[in-house]
Amino acid sequence: MEFNQAIMMRNNLRDNHVIMAYNGMVSDELMVTLAELLKNRLIAHDDPKRSKLIFSVFMEGVQNLIWHGSIHDDKSGMILITDHDDVITIMCGNRIAKDQTKDLKERLRQIEGADKDTIRQLYREGMSKADGHEGPGSGLGLLEIARRSSEPIRYSFDEIDEHSVDFIIAATI
Amino acid sequence: MTMHIQGTERTPEVQLMTEPLSLKIQGESFPEDVAVFYGPVINAINALTLEPNGPLNVTMAMVYINSSSIKALYRIFEGVDAYRKAGNEVSVHWTVPEDDDIMEELGEDFKDRFPELEFKVGHHG
Repeated sequence: MEFNQAIMMRNNLRDNHVIMAYNGMVSDELMVTLAELLKNRLIAHDDPKRSKLIFSVFMEGVQNLIWHGSIHDDKSGMILITDHDDVITIMCGNRIAKDQTKDLKERLRQIEGADKDTIRQLYREGMSKADGHEGPGSGLGLLEIARRSSEPIRYSFDEIDEHSVDFIIAATI
Repeated sequence: MTMHIQGTERTPEVQLMTEPLSLKIQGESFPEDVAVFYGPVINAINALTLEPNGPLNVTMAMVYINSSSIKALYRIFEGVDAYRKAGNEVSVHWTVPEDDDIMEELGEDFKDRFPELEFKVGHHG
């Protein structure tokens, strides 16, 4: 990479108030390490209640990346956290197989239009559901993110080719 | 029958004791492998119904729980509820620090799921 590209990238991160950016292999070890960094950074200048919400959304978002991995075995994903005007936004993204998107889209549609009481009711129902094929705690993790987010969650599906889709989910705290 | 698992930075302390029968789980819960950590606990609780040992007191004091641990706790409460259904006295005390709304709400969510259990959500101490 040329310096001018690196500088552009840095300016881009600055302009968007990015406090944490990661793209590559995601693992349990990485999640714990980044969570610790995030915790220390947040606790220093934030209230503990809000820090817990942020920590919770971060953990569920990254766990989704680990469990739902990607279409390859390398489990790569993107984590992006911005802090602007006292609003923290956590974005998690990965490339998933197109045939996995139908179920995910349905669950997201159910969550995005729901108010907090409905989300809590869905959450209560999700607690008792046996784990599906998508991974541990699946379904409940998305509800956890939606429940802790101060605004409705946002997401995007970006089709790459006939087999794969780039998925991103964003929560605001 | 008894069980004691020391707590770590990411797994809770678990204590299952007899005379009197009690289960205590306290601490953080985001184990790398939820099934490996909670499997033996769930089995031990399910085994209680086979060999009843008097009233059971459950005390929970969780700090942070990830969503897959919540599902494991649900299985534990199912075992606790089965012990009650078998005719034993059971009480659950879900304790939280005064300012922890997240854990308090979660306690209420569990209470809602197990309406027949004597389930109290309250502050530490």
